Amino acid sequence: MSELLLDYILNKEHHKFRKDYTINLANDYKKKGLSPVERMADRFERLTKAETPQLLPDEKIVFVRTIRNIPEIFTEDEWQDINSKHYIHELGYMSNLSPNYEDAIAVGLLAKSEAADEYGKRAINNIIALSDRYKEEAEKQGKTDIAKVLERVPRYGATSFVEALQFFRILHFALWLEGNYHNTVGRFDLYMYPYYKADIDKGIITDEIALELLMDFFLSFNKDSDLYVGVQQGDNGQSMVLGGVDSHGNNVFNQLSSLCLVASRNLKLIDPKINLRVNKETPLDVYELGSELTREGLGFPQYSNDDVVIEGLVKKGYALEDARNYVVAACWEFIIPNCGGDVANISALSFPKIVDIVVRKYLKDAKSFEEIIQKVNDEIKIECNRIADGIKDLWFIPSPFMGVIMDEIKYNNFGVHGTGIATAADSLAAIKDHIFEHKIITVEEMLEAVDSNFEKHGWLLPILRYNSHKMGNDDDYVDEIAVKLLDLFAEALEGKVNCNGGKYRAGTGSAMYYLWHANELGASPDGRRMGEAFGTNFSPSLFARINGPVSVVKSFTKPHFKSAINGGPLTLEFHSSIFSHDDSVKKVAMLVKSFVDMGGHQLQLNAVNEEKLKDAQKNPDKYPQLVVRIWGWSAYFVELDKEYQDHVIARQEYIV
Amino acid sequence: MKGMIFDIKEFSIHDGPGIRTTVFFKGCPLRCIWCHNPEGLSIEPELMIKHTLCDGCNKCKQKCSHKKCEPFDRCVFACHKGLVNISGVEIESMDLAEKLKKYADFLNINGGGITFSGGEPLMQADFLVELLEHLNGIHTAIQTSGYADQETFKRVIDKVDYIMLDIKIADGKLHKKYTGVDNELILKNLEYLKSSNKPYIIRVPLISDITDTSENLSAISNLVGNSEIEYLPYNTFAGAKYPMVGREFLLSRTKV
Repeated sequence: MSELLLDYILNKEHHKFRKDYTINLANDYKKKGLSPVERMADRFERLTKAETPQLLPDEKIVFVRTIRNIPEIFTEDEWQDINSKHYIHELGYMSNLSPNYEDAIAVGLLAKSEAADEYGKRAINNIIALSDRYKEEAEKQGKTDIAKVLERVPRYGATSFVEALQFFRILHFALWLEGNYHNTVGRFDLYMYPYYKADIDKGIITDEIALELLMDFFLSFNKDSDLYVGVQQGDNGQSMVLGGVDSHGNNVFNQLSSLCLVASRNLKLIDPKINLRVNKETPLDVYELGSELTREGLGFPQYSNDDVVIEGLVKKGYALEDARNYVVAACWEFIIPNCGGDVANISALSFPKIVDIVVRKYLKDAKSFEEIIQKVNDEIKIECNRIADGIKDLWFIPSPFMGVIMDEIKYNNFGVHGTGIATAADSLAAIKDHIFEHKIITVEEMLEAVDSNFEKHGWLLPILRYNSHKMGNDDDYVDEIAVKLLDLFAEALEGKVNCNGGKYRAGTGSAMYYLWHANELGASPDGRRMGEAFGTNFSPSLFARINGPVSVVKSFTKPHFKSAINGGPLTLEFHSSIFSHDDSVKKVAMLVKSFVDMGGHQLQLNAVNEEKLKDAQKNPDKYPQLVVRIWGWSAYFVELDKEYQDHVIARQEYIV
Repeated sequence: MKGMIFDIKEFSIHDGPGIRTTVFFKGCPLRCIWCHNPEGLSIEPELMIKHTLCDGCNKCKQKCSHKKCEPFDRCVFACHKGLVNISGVEIESMDLAEKLKKYADFLNINGGGITFSGGEPLMQADFLVELLEHLNGIHTAIQTSGYADQETFKRVIDKVDYIMLDIKIADGKLHKKYTGVDNELILKNLEYLKSSNKPYIIRVPLISDITDTSENLSAISNLVGNSEIEYLPYNTFAGAKYPMVGREFLLSRTKV
């Protein structure tokens, strides 16, 4: 990959080609009385036509967005009307899916067109037309290599590695342009391997050339990513999954997987976001390659444990061969490529809110801690019912192009995150220990302290914060409460049928709720003050005194993940100095392997440096490329809102 | 019997082979002016206060009835920010062994074990030997200054699996100047270690102008002969903990 192209993209020089789409389509569509799918097809046609082919310097994998915005297809009135009649998930578009890139790349879009409906056909024609214009531009500029590739793809199936990569780029470009978002990458090393292998065998490419191509290809994920919507910049869902077993149960980690890890390490960019599937047979050297990437401070790879996930998915009713093929959605939710239509992040349960309700309603009269747990169980059920009852008539804006490259949908399950488990478990442990067992705090004192944000009975605060049981210290007293909480959550969703006929899946992720849910709540019985956030995803409380990463791993591998299989990783933050020795890469790899061997389901590691982050808050211009992991994605630190920055700084950080 | 420790650190990866858990023994006969664990010097429990974050609410200075706070002029359970802590816990060898054994599986599968550091573990040799007897089946290592009579040194060294011996300064006078003690015992123990069949490594902290001089390094090199040797770069933030235990960081005065 050329440094010229890298600099060009990092300096955002290609932004000069961008223009706004200023025509108000929605009003026009309303006047004409077009149906939603007609509107989507028409908009896609207009946008592909409005795009101007641009070939960036030294680029081998082309296609770059030149239309900045995607205009609305509904007027505000219409959208309000739709919202009043349906449950609309997030923006209403298809998201968090892993389409069948493999098939499209193998057979070509013309073949896909045969089975497509009229809107699908139209979308295919439009994207081919844009490709042809790219081809003409390449010819005009004498870039015959590019023109030759576009002569073949996306019309026909790819016959080489470079064609397959270009084909993927076009598919991904089209999905984003259609309005879909959190478009994942899927099992890249599985479906791309045949093209890579064939070219290597034929002597067309070497590993060196393959790596160059991969880096160019990886760079393409970063050209337009600022246009991809998310809660924050960087939350774009371009997750790539490497390794793991195939649908027959054979391990697939191959030379292409290794090259992907190296390409990502060389580029040091936040996209694509690398996920490694591992299992008890994964050798230590794969973890070492992963740790080499962690060392770069990109916050990935994120690890998912096949041994837990596959069994959990099967338990939830997924066919074994589908379960074995799992990928992660935008962040960490386990989804099935090609045929999975799950909405993996439809809602979230706040564990600390449950505890808060129980404390306020029942603590005064409770005779025992068991009674409290019973009430927690009741309230979790009530909350899960409330969540489920609130999701009726789910409707998505139809996406003709997405429809073309998705197979028939087999799964329609809904995923519910579970946030703040450590805050909740710590709170319950404090109640059990200090109120019921040692009776050093009275119910009245606890209630008044929490209600007054510890203005009253301030003496409780240091006891609760610093001298109580905390999840993350391999302390069964509190860890068993956390195990129970997750069990109760999973049980409460078990057997529920969602409005699309699917099931519900409990998870351990938080997404942005570690801030949102925390803000909805006052102080909590674990000594958490009003306004303090929860740990991100599945992590210790921010102020808990933690023995270290080994105890954290031991605590957070205790719960029964096979029954709560929506995903959501333990997040470990290491001070970047840990990687000052080469030897430490191997030791971090050992820690990750141990996590997997102990039955953890998902893990992400961050290499951070608090002093550097604080300096970057003050001097953002100095750190344009400083990367941090947020909840299920990596981002450039200086592009985040301050509350997300502050949370990263406040997290537990292990200096070793 | 009971011993005095001030920390147990997990996932220590620079303290011997594999992934280790390190136990820090409190109390040291040396006073190296560059020491980065000042809370390890005194064998008595002491207060560690993070003064820089203190907003002066004085809650810690109000009278309390906690037994733990008796030796001190403050309450250690009062600070809302958790800034006031006791460094130093007295613990039975059996209880400490039980705590450490929780890590055994994890450490064993990762080619690691338990490392004893400090302070100076040899200062509590009886306790350490008793502890070692409870830790059968776990790889053990020691980080030591080697400052102990030879019998004590032998008693411990024969029981641990791996030894990391610090050799700081070859010249006796300079050693006394910068560490507070003569190095005669240390060099005698070095000879014993060399002649023993134990796996070991010599570690030399690199303190510019003090240990990191060409004379000293070549003299050390002569002393240790063929032994494996590791030079430890010095962390300039090492002085950070001194104000917390109310001690003066002498190295900074030397520098200024």
